[in-house]
Amino acid sequence: MQRLGDFKLPHFFNYPPYFTLQPVRETREKQVQLWKELILDYCRSQKIFVISLEEDFPLFSNPVVERSLSHEARQVFLAALVNEGRAEWVDKSHKKCLILWLRIQDWADYILNFVKENGFEDSVMTIEDMRFGIETRGTELAGIDRGVLLRALKLLEQKGKAAIFKGASADDEGVKFSA
Amino acid sequence: MRRRPGIAGLKSAAAARDQYRLVGENVARIRADVMKEQLETFRTQLEDFARKHKNDIRKNPTFRSQFHEMCAKVGVDPLASNKGFWAELLGIGDFYYELGVQIVDICLSTRSHNGGLINLQELCSLLCQRRKVAREAVTEDDCLRAISKLKVLGSGFEVISVGKKKLVRSVPTELNKDHNEILEVAQAQGYVTIEELEKRLSWSSGRAIDALETLLKEGLAMIDDGHRDGKRRYWFPCVASIFSAQGSDGLRSS
Repeated sequence: MQRLGDFKLPHFFNYPPYFTLQPVRETREKQVQLWKELILDYCRSQKIFVISLEEDFPLFSNPVVERSLSHEARQVFLAALVNEGRAEWVDKSHKKCLILWLRIQDWADYILNFVKENGFEDSVMTIEDMRFGIETRGTELAGIDRGVLLRALKLLEQKGKAAIFKGASADDEGVKFSA
Repeated sequence: MRRRPGIAGLKSAAAARDQYRLVGENVARIRADVMKEQLETFRTQLEDFARKHKNDIRKNPTFRSQFHEMCAKVGVDPLASNKGFWAELLGIGDFYYELGVQIVDICLSTRSHNGGLINLQELCSLLCQRRKVAREAVTEDDCLRAISKLKVLGSGFEVISVGKKKLVRSVPTELNKDHNEILEVAQAQGYVTIEELEKRLSWSSGRAIDALETLLKEGLAMIDDGHRDGKRRYWFPCVASIFSAQGSDGLRSS
């Protein structure tokens, strides 16, 4: 099986027609579904949060079969993810796409669980530490996108499970969890 | 002696014919009896054989195939019913039933990719992948047998031959001669171009396009515009094996 780094690529990735937008509805649906899954799986495994359509994204071309997704195809697949709530356009011109391989609500649940499992209720963590600190190493939180993290924490704040506060500088942003 | 015409003559000719007929019937009956006996002997011996080699029949595909041939010669169909001696002793009915169910499942799950036509080799390979746990090897022969049983159930499954390959069709789509020819040409590289069809088969471009459009609509073909030569290619998933692992883990074919 072909790999991209340590990521195992699915078989369809080596079948040239999947890189061309299919005109027949049922075939197109299958194609979109396969690409959506691939994008989510790949981004999750590589902790990628933003895809830039104008830059080279390794998933969008396969040198082995000498095929690349057209700009239109990339738009179609990402738009499908957006429609499903698994992605968001970062800009109006649809050049950058935020990939929510976990939805914001899923992240909020994940953080809550993480806090409970590690006994962090009533303790304080900086945003930086949550993203790059030792405590989160090896968890999905490691390397999380800042914007996504803050949105998830805000959700928790609304439920009274957390309180976000700002310190003296941007680096001092932190959150206090409550049981 | 002068032959006697007249009624008496006719009567004795009729009597003679009757005699011959009786003898003939006797001979026939004796032959049939002998044959029946022989057949019974064969059957008993076959049953003994099956009992002794039950495991081999289950585990060894070549052996299994030869066993079926033997049964066929003697007029025994171990798969004829799911009950009775054969099914109980060998569980063979179950084996093919299970295979049939798995085949249907594979065909259904690959339908959106190949349009309901899958080549036998790939089917068999996917089947083996699924059955790795059971460690009971499955050959194309077994697949064909399971599919023929499916047919009896009126499931709409059919095996068609296109060129060198056998394709299993699980949808009612009928392929006409033009479609078949396209599939044959496609077997070389997995795809065709309009130009190729025109050249190879001496078709007009209209004829080629019509046939290809139908195949496309039926979900049997996919377009590919990505080659640097700019020519559109029509790929046929049913003649390729992209989902099964190819190579050394052995595709067994009969």
